[in-house]
This record gives sequence, structure tokens and C-alpha cells, in this order.
Amino acid sequence: MASAKEISNRIKSIKDTMKITRAMYMISSIKLRKAKKNLEETEPYFYGLQGEIAGILYRFPDAVNLFFDNREKDLKEKVKRRGIVVITGDKGMCGAYNHNVLKEAEKLIKDSKKYRLFVVGAVGRNYFYTRNYPLPRDFTYTATNPSIHRARNISETIIELYKKERLDEVWVVYTRMVNSMRSDVEIEEVLPLKQRKFARDEIIKRKQKAQMAHGHLKKLEDIDINVRSEDTDDTVLLSGSDMIIRPSVDDLIEKIVYNYLTGFIYGALVEASACEENARMMAMSNATDNADNILKDLSLEYNKVRQAGITQEITEVIGGAKALKSKN
Amino acid sequence: MAEAKTFKLRILACNKLFYEGDAIEVIFPTTDGEWAVMANHAEMISTIEIGEMKVKLPDGSWMKAIVSDGFIDVHDNRVNIIVYSCEKPEEIDRFRAEAAMERAREQLSAKQSIREYHISTASLARAMARLKYSNKDI
Repeated sequence: MASAKEISNRIKSIKDTMKITRAMYMISSIKLRKAKKNLEETEPYFYGLQGEIAGILYRFPDAVNLFFDNREKDLKEKVKRRGIVVITGDKGMCGAYNHNVLKEAEKLIKDSKKYRLFVVGAVGRNYFYTRNYPLPRDFTYTATNPSIHRARNISETIIELYKKERLDEVWVVYTRMVNSMRSDVEIEEVLPLKQRKFARDEIIKRKQKAQMAHGHLKKLEDIDINVRSEDTDDTVLLSGSDMIIRPSVDDLIEKIVYNYLTGFIYGALVEASACEENARMMAMSNATDNADNILKDLSLEYNKVRQAGITQEITEVIGGAKALKSKN
Repeated sequence: MAEAKTFKLRILACNKLFYEGDAIEVIFPTTDGEWAVMANHAEMISTIEIGEMKVKLPDGSWMKAIVSDGFIDVHDNRVNIIVYSCEKPEEIDRFRAEAAMERAREQLSAKQSIREYHISTASLARAMARLKYSNKDI
């Protein structure tokens, strides 16, 4: 058994650690409140945008365009160059949050023959850097306090590469907050845009997702999606053909792509930062609880050791006294 | 006069649901001037440019807003507008807009890549629209 001195040293060190974790818990709970407010404001836009885009694509006339990746030379390409946007945190100490995102991202990388990584957040950048993945040098964005400006910078970078045909697909790996207890890693293919025949599944998927999310999105349900069950592909084709598209199909598609990607990345950044703070808060509260438990055990042990010491001393004293008595 | 026909309007900006409800008319800026949409408009998808948007509410009053670029989707007597930002003139922080304009001008004068140029011109346009319309008396 350890000596009383050793145990009391340990108790002291654990108490110090607990002070730190408790402080971090408080900080992250304040940050979480801010991130959650931001999330609440952004979520109608995030899901509304996705539903709207899917709805538009569903009704959109068939067009051959770079952003649909259906031009003749696109169809001939055997290997698609993937751009993978990975959104991680800037700091550790948040449980499995970063680990989960990175695991999914690595899986996706393994599936891709040609890829380009765009990593947001310092943790992810370090992770890929130490494992010798190629990273673009000028792509260094933080994950904390997401802003539409940062999202615009990121999406401009990506669309520029897409237009130069250095990328054929754009995937985003991020963490989405399902509810305050659960967050899931999501992998979404954002570009190329889905053509009509694929759009229907997409709409249904998005609708389910939006409904699964928080209650305040209920309002959106009836509006965001406009697929009627009696729609067959033919009627849609007909109704799609006399749609007014301004200023021109290509301009409109480009605008939609810019808006969609920027909006999507902004939404993903907001979701991810809320998840990160949430994960950190939970990790820190667990750490504080654990420290509490260890302290309880240690103080019991300390008391046992102390008592054992006292008992021993008493027996020694009594033994000594007895020995003296018998001498007399 | 007969009751004016209305349609369902929804305006989504990236930080809030700006408006959801009935409207008689909506006028929005596009690349080639202003366009208006009234009830039972034909199916349409169009881009929206940075500028001033006006919405005629069912009570006949006009609501003005400064929008950043986005797009509009009209179908089945429903109008969905999705823009980066949408603010009422009185909500605009002139001080912030002025600072943003200054910054964008400065960035534009520096040598930069095409990507940076795109971003700076767009921010400049946004800042100028904000300043212009927040100044105007309604």
C-alpha cells in the first residue's frame, strides 16, 4: 500500500487537474450557448437551401453543363478527381469529435483514386500533415466562430478549381448536430449537381433529415419540398419545359452553385462548431466527474492508510507500556 | 376594388428566416434591372443581384429590404427567395458598412488573384448597396 504522503500528493494533483477541467467546462458551456444560438438561426437556411436546390434541380430542364458533370468529355473520364472538404476542430480535448470526422475522411480518401484535401481546423490539418497527405499550403482556415465570409472564401477556392477542371466532384465531411445528445458525421457529395432523375431520392433524403432535426424546423416541412406523389416523370418534363429561366441557364446554374456551396459550407461550419463545443463540454464534464470519483476512492484509501498508521502507533505504544509493566 | 390576390412568400437569409407569409407583389433586382412577381406568376427561376428588394404586404404597405445576391424560385403561386443576407434599412449598421467598403476598396487596389478580386468586388457592392439604401428616406 502506498504511503500517506504519496496518496496526499496524488489527491492534490487530481484536485488541480479538476480545477482545469471544471474551468474548461464552464468556458465551453458559454461557447456552446453562442454556437447553439448561431445554429438555431442558421438551421432553417441550411435545410431550406438544400431542399430548395433539390426542388429546383427536380424541375430543372435537362441541360448539359460543367456543373452537372455531364458534358461529353466528362462522361469519358474514367477517374474522377475528388475535392474533399474535411471540417475538424481547432483544439483537442473534445472526446471523439475530431477522431470520428478524421476516421470517416480517411475512409473516403481510401475510396478515391485522385483526390485533393481541403481541411478546416488545426487538428485535422496536423493529423493529415503528420501522415504525409498532400495539403494545399494556402488553405488554412480555422473552425471557430464561422462566418459567411470564410465560407465564401472556401467556396471560391473550390469553385475556381472546379471550373479549371482540376476537380470533378466535391465532397464535404462534417459533423451534424442531430440533437443535443447526439451528433453524426455526415459525408455529402455537393458537386456535381444532381440531375433530375437522381433529384427525387435526394429530396426525400433531405426531407427526412430536416424532419429528424430539431423541432423548430417543423414550419419548413410543408413548404420546402414540392414533389407531388401523382407527378410522373412525364408531367414534370412538360411543366419543366415552359419554365422561365433568367438570365440564362448557364448563368443561373453558376449562381446556384456559388450560393449552394457557400451556404452549404457555412451551414456545415456552424453545425460542426456547435458539435465541437458540445463534445468538449461533455468531455470536460466527464473528466470532472471521473476526477471526483478518483478523489473519493483516494480519500478512502488515504484514511485507511492514516488509520492503519495510527493503529500501529497505538499498538506500539501499548506494547511498549506492557513491556515496561512486566519489567516492573 | 377587388381584394388583391396574394401568394405565399418565403425569404431565407443565412442568419434568419426573414419573412414568411402572404404578399401581393415582390420587386427584386436582377442583372438586367428590376423584376416584379405578382400572384399566379408563371413558373420561374431567376438570380437576384445585390440591391434593394420591395415586398407589398397584404395590407397594401411596402416592406423594403436590402438583399445580397441569391436566387428566386417561383412555382405554384409560391415564391421562395434564398439570399446570403437580407436586412431592413433600419437594421443596417452604417458604421460597419462604411468600414467594409473601406476594406474592400483597399483590397481591390492591392494586387491579387482573380479569386480575391471576385470576393472584394462582391463585398464592395454589398457595402455600397447597404449604404445607399439605408440613407434613403422611405
